[in-house]
Amino acid sequence: MRPALVLACVAVVATVRIGVAADGLTLPNRPNTLKFAAIGDNGTGAQPEYEVASQMATWHQQFAFDMVIMLGDNLYGRQEPSDFVEKFERPFKRLLDGGVKFYASLGNHDDERDLTYPPFNMAGRRYYAFVRGDVRFFVLDTNFLDPAQLVWLERQLASASERWKIAYFHHPLYSDGGRHGSEVELRVKLEPLFVKYAVNVVYSGHDHIYERIKPQRGIYYFVSGAGGQLRQGDLKRSELTAAGFDRDRSFMLNEIDGDELHFQVVSRAGQTVDAGVIHRGGTS
Amino acid sequence: MTRAWRFIVDRYLLVPIAAVVALTWANTYPQSYFRIANTLAFPVNEIGMALGLAYLAQEVVEAALPGGSLYPFSRAVVPLIGGLGGMIGASLAYVGYLALGDEQILARGWPVAGAADLVITLAIARAIFGRGAAVTMALVFALTSDVIGLIVISGQHFVVQPHAAAALLIVAGVALAAVFRHQHVVSSWPYVACAGTLSWVGCYWSGLQPVLALLPIVPFLRHAPRDLTQPHRQPSAHRGATHFESVFQAPVLVIVFLFGLLNAGMAVRGADTGTWAVVVASLVGRPAGTLVAIGIALLAGLHLPRGTGWRDALVSALAAAPTLVFGVLFAVAVFPVGPLLVQTKLGAIATAIGLVPAFGAARLLRVGRFAPVTHR
Repeated sequence: MRPALVLACVAVVATVRIGVAADGLTLPNRPNTLKFAAIGDNGTGAQPEYEVASQMATWHQQFAFDMVIMLGDNLYGRQEPSDFVEKFERPFKRLLDGGVKFYASLGNHDDERDLTYPPFNMAGRRYYAFVRGDVRFFVLDTNFLDPAQLVWLERQLASASERWKIAYFHHPLYSDGGRHGSEVELRVKLEPLFVKYAVNVVYSGHDHIYERIKPQRGIYYFVSGAGGQLRQGDLKRSELTAAGFDRDRSFMLNEIDGDELHFQVVSRAGQTVDAGVIHRGGTS
Repeated sequence: MTRAWRFIVDRYLLVPIAAVVALTWANTYPQSYFRIANTLAFPVNEIGMALGLAYLAQEVVEAALPGGSLYPFSRAVVPLIGGLGGMIGASLAYVGYLALGDEQILARGWPVAGAADLVITLAIARAIFGRGAAVTMALVFALTSDVIGLIVISGQHFVVQPHAAAALLIVAGVALAAVFRHQHVVSSWPYVACAGTLSWVGCYWSGLQPVLALLPIVPFLRHAPRDLTQPHRQPSAHRGATHFESVFQAPVLVIVFLFGLLNAGMAVRGADTGTWAVVVASLVGRPAGTLVAIGIALLAGLHLPRGTGWRDALVSALAAAPTLVFGVLFAVAVFPVGPLLVQTKLGAIATAIGLVPAFGAARLLRVGRFAPVTHR
């Protein structure tokens, strides 16, 4: 077969694949891989949060993630026991009933009651770490990044022997959100540790948009703060921006398979707005 | 040149000038600014400002002596009550503002709203009143708030393990100052260098803010009554060659300038709930709290300082409203590095706008420089 014809065939196949992938699963969805979702700034208790949660439950049927990392602002407004029901348990009922575990970090709208709320799995800790498969997650409280927390983080990072190191917290070190943007003071404290101990990926919320940042000093950064709140048109694209979405709410699906982290970002309407793969210590 | 310098010094304009320089520097060459600010923060904020605070406090102590505008004690009590009321008013307004939203995580920042920038207060008060008793009243409002605030935030800013027993060193320092006084020691140096150092070490090791160290020493220094009811009296007439005010004026000017320079710089961005909470608390809550407290004190039969009336009290309360650099200092003690600190620091700097209502009220009420000439 002539090369030109081969290229044409490949192009057609690729087009079809992309066409199918636009509204479907792009993740490998292999057995025995770590599958997790990420949401931020979700806890409004309003209709959009319910719709995002419903969309997550729908995707869970074909992509059975067994955990969700919460990027802060888990509850807005009042934080009485009934609010935990209204703003978390009810919207995420299908996932909770399906055995999906949630691991929360604290945002600026959260209060200390989150720490002891069993479904958030914080066990009374403002910051903590946990291991799933070959991944260690570092969950930070960026509201109060005190010296004790930094000492703890460095010890945890130094002792981590897992293949992947993933950190998540509320305030983004890099963001092109117009409302908040990058938290440079936090970056000055955290980035040197992340670089020194080879953290691979960092997830944050706070800006109510989705943004994928171009790798910074070898680290991949995601802002996913539109799980319930939305600031439409707030993404001010810059040279940092690899991809972004600010027209609707969204959440992230992730799959770690060996040295690859696959991600797919889904809107409230179920459309895929970004997708890709990160190679550990390499290119995307 | 000398007149310009005298104008700047007399009106305490060094801190506003330093703050402008710091903000410009921090927003153009942030790395060099923060490197230098971090390096010099301890010697200036914790050691040097102990001298600065003492320098300002001795003015109040002298005004409270027989013949001074705050004498007898019942007249000094009202500004003290006003300062306490201001602190309470600012704190309640801060907490109240947060209660309107859902960011209770900022609640621990309430002392920031209670901080009053002593130097800016003096700058505004002197610009309005010259050297009247109302200046001292504004200074007492601010000083009272700050002393309470510094005690509240004590122990939150050090890595060293505090030892309560070290407070005995403060007692020893005060006792030594009393001995010097009893022995009629004229020079200010032994009080500051010996008694003051003991007190500073005691504060530091016991977890108390060391910037407070010289305050208990100040009453033992050699003083002359200060009648500030005569606004145009030359301050130099008051100073003796060995007087604290005379000896330490130059070092304090340098310290105060550095204090403004090192603390006021920040990237101007990140305004959020904490910013507005500090602004509202300082510019609305504190003056309101001060005036309510003064009202209660007057109803209880106490009196305003000699030579002042309710209009002076109102304008003085507004002059003591900005938290500015002291607010930044408090914010750093209360919040670790991060967005909450950025928000509250920005709020503290934004309270500089408080000079507008202070001057506006002075003009409206025709007090100080705005008073009709015949009444001056």
